[in-house]
Amino acid sequence: MSVTHDEVLKIARLAELDVSEEALPLLAEQMSRILDYVAQINAVPASEGVKPFVPGPDALRFRADEVRPILLAFGPETLAPAFKDGFFLVPKLGAFEVVDS
Amino acid sequence: MGGPGSAAWETVIGLETHVQLRTASKMFCGCSAAFGAPPNTNVCPVCLGLPGALPMANGLALQLAVRAALALGCTVHPRSVFARKNYFYPDLPKGYQISQFEQPLATAGSLSYLSPDRGIATATIQRLHVEEDAGKSLHDRFPKQTAIDLNRCGVPLIEIVTGPDLRSPQEARAYLLTLKQVLEYAAVSDCDMEKGSLRVDANVSVRRVGQPELGTKTEVKNINSFAYVEKALTVERDRQIALLEAGGRVEPQTLLYDAKTNGVRPQRAKEESHDYRYFPDPDLPPLVLREEFIAEQQALLPELPAKKRERFVEKYALSLTDAAVLTADRGVADYYEAVVHAGADAKAAANWVMTEVLADAKDHADGLRVPAGALANLIGLVRGGTLSHQAAKRVFGEVAEHGGEPRNVAEALGLIQVADTGVVTGWVSEVLVAHPAEVARYKSGETKLLQFFLGQVMKLSRGKADPKLAQRVLEERLPA
Amino acid sequence: MSDPSEALASAKAAADRLVKAKRLNACLTPTAPLRKSLLTQAQAAHPSGVLYGMPVAVKDNICTLEFTTTCGSKILEAYRSPYEATAVAKLKAAGALIAGKTNCDEFAMGSSTEHSIYGRTLHPFDKTRVPGGSSGGSAALVAVGAVPAALGSETGGSVRQPASLCGVVGIKPTYGRVSRYGLVAFGSSLDQIGVLGRSVHDAARVLSVISGRDPKDSTCEDRDPLRLPNVPESLQGFVIGIPKEYFPADLDPAVRRACDRAIRLCKELGAAVREVALPHTAYAVPTYYILAPAEASSNLARYDGARYGPRFDGSADVRALYRTTRGEGFGPEVRRRILLGTYVLSSGYYDAYYRKAQQMRALIAQDFRNAFDRGVDLLFTPTTPSPAFKAGEKLDDPVAMYLSDIFTVTANLAGLPAISLPIGRVKGLPLGGQFIGQAFLEDEMLEAAYALERVVPATEEA
Repeated sequence: MSVTHDEVLKIARLAELDVSEEALPLLAEQMSRILDYVAQINAVPASEGVKPFVPGPDALRFRADEVRPILLAFGPETLAPAFKDGFFLVPKLGAFEVVDS
Repeated sequence: MGGPGSAAWETVIGLETHVQLRTASKMFCGCSAAFGAPPNTNVCPVCLGLPGALPMANGLALQLAVRAALALGCTVHPRSVFARKNYFYPDLPKGYQISQFEQPLATAGSLSYLSPDRGIATATIQRLHVEEDAGKSLHDRFPKQTAIDLNRCGVPLIEIVTGPDLRSPQEARAYLLTLKQVLEYAAVSDCDMEKGSLRVDANVSVRRVGQPELGTKTEVKNINSFAYVEKALTVERDRQIALLEAGGRVEPQTLLYDAKTNGVRPQRAKEESHDYRYFPDPDLPPLVLREEFIAEQQALLPELPAKKRERFVEKYALSLTDAAVLTADRGVADYYEAVVHAGADAKAAANWVMTEVLADAKDHADGLRVPAGALANLIGLVRGGTLSHQAAKRVFGEVAEHGGEPRNVAEALGLIQVADTGVVTGWVSEVLVAHPAEVARYKSGETKLLQFFLGQVMKLSRGKADPKLAQRVLEERLPA
Repeated sequence: MSDPSEALASAKAAADRLVKAKRLNACLTPTAPLRKSLLTQAQAAHPSGVLYGMPVAVKDNICTLEFTTTCGSKILEAYRSPYEATAVAKLKAAGALIAGKTNCDEFAMGSSTEHSIYGRTLHPFDKTRVPGGSSGGSAALVAVGAVPAALGSETGGSVRQPASLCGVVGIKPTYGRVSRYGLVAFGSSLDQIGVLGRSVHDAARVLSVISGRDPKDSTCEDRDPLRLPNVPESLQGFVIGIPKEYFPADLDPAVRRACDRAIRLCKELGAAVREVALPHTAYAVPTYYILAPAEASSNLARYDGARYGPRFDGSADVRALYRTTRGEGFGPEVRRRILLGTYVLSSGYYDAYYRKAQQMRALIAQDFRNAFDRGVDLLFTPTTPSPAFKAGEKLDDPVAMYLSDIFTVTANLAGLPAISLPIGRVKGLPLGGQFIGQAFLEDEMLEAAYALERVVPATEEA
């Protein structure tokens, strides 16, 4: 399973990760190796009868509809790299669409 | 149908509606879900997407979602799964939205609505699923920066998706208004487009009449009111038709409606279509609903609008139109029935509710101000001849503003009609004596002067004479 | 210990020992604030708590109010959590002292504690070697006696593997036994907070305290905290299964000898020993390296420089902000796994990789159920295929690094509890053997571990 440079770049865009030109060849090679390695699970024939296994409780527990927020030791303004008038700030969307959601 | 050269084209519209559920707290954390708080004050590690935080499901939200699904005739699945919808956006702190994908809460429902073009039409509801809302991004508050408020992040939503069943922008609007009505009846949401508790995105395509395949569809977003629904879809439909008639092709894309220009423009530079990489959320076990749970939600549903309309037509002998007006709002429908139950004539009550009551309610935030029993009494007074209709309207206004028993209020205002034959006869005599010329003209055939005499009797009695009685006495006393 | 002055003495002693252990680069908390915090905590500690005055170090991917929580990553450099993990709150409620944050592979992704921006942690006995990972810092501190116990986390063996390499006890609870609230998520369906301890008893005591229901974690089972069993007289009545797939022909002979010795000792203690088969074992590592990165790619999407953590300034627009922050903030192993995870979830590949891996996982879990259904109480296997390897040895080949997890990932995939304890030395280096237990039957597993611990010559060459 050979992963091309283009595919790596496409995946990197989906994952919002910068991948430098220098890093690209090694990364593509390593990903190909890893994907080849993990693809061996396809050697096992389709297991129709077995249900997916998810550990943990069988069913979701519900919480009562009460306003009981988890308390923060300090607020968003302390956490945020950029904060003003109560808002988190990020550089304006360029490639994103400008629509008030 | 409709649009340029319209006989040739059929419009196909599907709607995705996001509806906020009426809960006090958010879908996956105990923060308040209330609208309007100062920014970033209803937040916690969970809805901020802090490292290590985990979701906890709101039981009431799930109840309301099931009720909505049942109200829309859906099959509610006893087992459904929350899935992560992965994408990056400033108001999506986790970098994914908890939603449902392969195994949604409900499927296969329908909603009938009144189409302006084809009578009762039915839209299929392909799916109804539960998800969390995102925060809000504000682009114009600061220059060069986007401001993010995460108060809304995590508020419970249901997403309702129709099939490509609507055939015009008008139908889309009608469907939405009907959907809103049903959801309001079921008390699952405020359905307020201004406040954002109901939002809609539309998929629009056109095809030549008779063409079996669907045309390429576009998605239209940023439609912020029911009125704009019709406008936005009309604009897009017309754009597609014009494009195709000119020999062009419709590109599948997302368009934003701009109310100011009444136009649509493409959403800027989305490099490639989203690959949301849905997978079941490992932080949430499967949503398993016992039969009793689903049955409970069914039992909690009130009589829904369509059924109520039918029943009103039958039980109260109302026209479909009148029944529709009276059942548009559940509170009004209940009120109407209370008025009839308190003894009022069904037809009279219908008229009163459709006119005076609704007009009053429109202008006053506290809604239905005259108690049902009082209105029933009032209607009785009119029917019994004690009050004229005009007088009754005045009494209604008084009771609405200041309360009180209608009869007492009428007496206090001196509006009680005089139905004493002796007194009325006295007035009639006075009037006839005062207008000999008109009496003579009446005698010689101008029988429509009866109205004149009646008017004079009403004037003389300062409106207190029972007009029906006065008319009878006049007819008796006037020479034939 | 319930005398207030004892807690203070304990705190002072712990601070001193942690200073001495600085050369290991295991503890990330600077000396002065650590000492100060320990003393403050000692004064406030609940005297009636079962862990009163016990210093417990905490892996740096678990949120604490004391100290920072960086996960060994630049993207969370200097991050202070405004809330603490449930496990940490429970420790404090039991009177324990949070004795600093420990170094780990970045976001718990690694098997050597070499992938941290704070540099690698040294093996406690041989500074040219790795302590294992990702909970290497915790394991190293316990190994040199700086603290009697430490919290770590497991996704594919990150508590047991370093326990084996450092010669300490490492316990992974059943999935859902300990709340994950406050554990920075890597592979959500695999993650559990685990405990490193200098003895089974020390580790088990801490596990008991941190276990139990938590409404804040929907995957945490609604159960009472773990009750500790007594040390059993013998292993009479226990049936121990030996899965043949964990003893391949090319297994390091020294490792085999150590395990054989441990198994013989179990027999001498009265246990019945039986060979079993777990036929899908060979697919465990590939399955794990599809599922864990997939979940990680989603769990790490929140790190974008927008709301917390450092921001890499000068971005023209928000997308550039995300890409720069994440490109520079994540190390190469994390970037690799995010890309891998994104790939296996992406349209066109989801069925062949992710969905298929979920099916494999089910088969692997089924293997265990079958073995247990046939009358086996516990399984015994080597924890790692070899003792500690040299630093830098596996950095060039990710797959080689992944193979160090070969005996541990199965318990994470199947959600089962497991405990590694030292069973011998190989050329002077420690080596662990593990029991894998049945879901929520940690007590049986601990009984076997107690019994073996008492008789196994852990410091003797195999």
